[in-house]
Amino acid sequence: MARERYIKVLLFACASLSFLAILLIFLFIFRESLPAITKGGFPNLFLSATWDPDKGRYGMLAFLNGTILTTLGGLVLGAPLGIGTAIFLDQVAPRRMGNIIRRGVELLAGIPSVVIGWFGLTILVPFIARVTNSAGYGIGAASVVLAVMVLPTITTLSAETLRSLPPELKEASVSMGATRWQTIRGVLLPAGREGILVAVILGMGRAIGETMAVQMVVGNSRQLTFSLTRGTGTLTSRIVTDMGEATGVFRSALFAQALVLLILAMLLIISIRLITRQKER
Amino acid sequence: MSDNVDSYKMRVENLSMYYENFKALEDISLDFHREHITALIGPSGCGKSTLIRCLNRMNDIIEGSRVEGGITLDGVNIYDPGYDVISLRRRVGMVFQRPNPFPKSIYENVAYGPRLAGIKDREKLDSIVEESLKKAALWDEVKKNLRESGQRLSGGQQQRLCIARVIAVQPEVILFDEPCSAIDPISTQKIEDLMAELKKNYTIVIVTHNMQQAARVSDYTAFMLVQEQGEAGRIVEFGDTDTIFTKPSDKRTENYITGRFG
Amino acid sequence: MDSRRADRIATTVFWAVGLITLGILLFIILEIFGRGLITALSPSFFAGKPEAREAGGGIWPMIASSVYLAVLTMLISLPIAVGAAIYLAEFSREGRLNRFIRFCLDSLSTLPSIVFGIFGMTIFVIKFRWSYCLLAGACTLALLTLPILLRSTEESLRQVPLTYREASMSLGASRWTTVRKVVMPTAMPGIISGTILPVGRIMGEAAAIIYTTGLFVRTIPKSPFDPAAPLAGYIWYAQTEAMVPDYRRIVNGGAAMLLILVFLINFAARRLAKYYSKRKSLGG
Repeated sequence: MARERYIKVLLFACASLSFLAILLIFLFIFRESLPAITKGGFPNLFLSATWDPDKGRYGMLAFLNGTILTTLGGLVLGAPLGIGTAIFLDQVAPRRMGNIIRRGVELLAGIPSVVIGWFGLTILVPFIARVTNSAGYGIGAASVVLAVMVLPTITTLSAETLRSLPPELKEASVSMGATRWQTIRGVLLPAGREGILVAVILGMGRAIGETMAVQMVVGNSRQLTFSLTRGTGTLTSRIVTDMGEATGVFRSALFAQALVLLILAMLLIISIRLITRQKER
Repeated sequence: MSDNVDSYKMRVENLSMYYENFKALEDISLDFHREHITALIGPSGCGKSTLIRCLNRMNDIIEGSRVEGGITLDGVNIYDPGYDVISLRRRVGMVFQRPNPFPKSIYENVAYGPRLAGIKDREKLDSIVEESLKKAALWDEVKKNLRESGQRLSGGQQQRLCIARVIAVQPEVILFDEPCSAIDPISTQKIEDLMAELKKNYTIVIVTHNMQQAARVSDYTAFMLVQEQGEAGRIVEFGDTDTIFTKPSDKRTENYITGRFG
Repeated sequence: MDSRRADRIATTVFWAVGLITLGILLFIILEIFGRGLITALSPSFFAGKPEAREAGGGIWPMIASSVYLAVLTMLISLPIAVGAAIYLAEFSREGRLNRFIRFCLDSLSTLPSIVFGIFGMTIFVIKFRWSYCLLAGACTLALLTLPILLRSTEESLRQVPLTYREASMSLGASRWTTVRKVVMPTAMPGIISGTILPVGRIMGEAAAIIYTTGLFVRTIPKSPFDPAAPLAGYIWYAQTEAMVPDYRRIVNGGAAMLLILVFLINFAARRLAKYYSKRKSLGG
């Protein structure tokens, strides 16, 4: 029937919008970042840490460094907590406590970025300032904030992985006289390895892309630093701070930073695909 | 049938089992002779699997389960408060209906049990793995591929792997919960032969819905039944296998054996 | 025995971890509400107009903007998501095309929201010459929400038993008719309840909207082409610019209000999901 075909085409159009969207986003970001790349040159843009828009210097290395370090920090704090909570929910917690914590994680996931950022600004930063005798802003504060934001993602996905393991595995282990921890360590975690890894990678993606909360606590300075308490910036925080006023090559340089974010996101997706395909083998 | 208490490895004494308010087993009393094979037979749903899972307290995992009465292992009641369940399960091993090898290599599957007990020495593990696989009549087939995944084996091989895995823990009793129902006939034969060998060193209890298998393999047989749907399972008759199958004393046993129902 | 000790230690550690996670949530909620709940609930605040330079501003236009934004976004995003989900679940076969579309969707859902924001700014605000307005923000957010809505809609569609479709088609109905008259009505409760949760996400989104809708607008937007200042963006703006002397009060109150809104939506979504699953199990 002709009508059926027409509808099928319409529905297909809806589905292909996703492809269109990704394509457009990529194209536009790439196109807008071209002026900065061609004018400034690749090394000046991506490999230099000198960020001085007034003088036409747009080196983003400091912010790339910031993104990487805050992400790592967020994962170092958030992943063990998340995986541990997932194990707790799946194997240790009595039913009611488990439900309470599950709800709690759900709520935590829903807290908007700006609210967590504000929390970081008003409570975390002064605390760090007191304890380390510094301004309080920086990679340290941003890592804690990111840990809070990736925690629900990692917990939920890891718990799902554990829950979907076949029950025979646990049964076999228990029937051989293994303690609960022995079963978790010897059978459940190894069997759930890929799923948990994917959970952590998705958490990483969240951390890399997080904007508002990080921007509020990271200090927004332009220096490249490895210190936990000296203000610096991330790719996302730089974009959000400057985009309102940037024009011309300056704005283009910000788009170049967005391009880097895009590439990082795609790398994560590809690595997840590789891992899940490996598992299916 | 020897009445000497010392010849019983495990005894079930007036055991009743409940899931929440549902009574699954009613006043079961049964003896398992050392180094002999005892079969539990009966129609589907009569409680034989539930009973065998009480022997290694695997029913504890199910929320809301509880028992009245007791089961003794070498004279000690395993349901005593404070009884070490972990060591119980090392002494009383189980082979399940569906083979359930871990997603690990063949070697690691068998080595899992000894590792639980703290054995780390490589040579010791190697010899335990080899010995267990030999006792499970699987060694010759896999000795060249110990690093391959245990889940790649055929169904019958997987089940023998699971048997090897249990043997590696060095239990005293081995429980078989319908071990051949998911396996091809040739492998079934191999496993039955295996059991005849194993009983020289282990006390064996087997649940089976296959009467011929019970008649072939076991020394003693217990016949279980539920009176009606939703009622608790009971022992109808228990005795040495030859008697049960040729001269059963209970009419219901006779009906089941001759295939009149179930 | 060593393994038993390890087990006890492990159990303690896991309990601690679980309680820490819970504690983090409670700590954040208590702090935000502790500082801002009273402000948030005072009528002069939530029903008042914002001030540009003086103290005593309110956030009513912001709340209204957030709601309008959410509704507009859903109006744009939902039909597309449902259409695409129907295509993927009912009309397409598992193959390379399918996998490719899913790959695009996965990629879309992993992009940072700021990327959507500047993309939206470039296309809608500048290129289309809409300038800062509600519609620009809604279109941007629609892109962001698409993967989430699609996933939950597709899930609901897949939960409809295969036998329903088989029965319908064996009676001579076409695929589309089957979808329209059998699958969709059955899946509808699930689809609806899956729609509520993303609304919370939309309301909390700031990075994607500050360069598309506007940041400080004193009036309630009347048309989609009016600029607007949704609450999440305004909180950030008030804290960054700190133009008014009582900006801390405003941000505290705004944050608390935002939490209230998000939690209410979360609560409603759960309630709805529970209600529908109960009806389902009773044969409704």
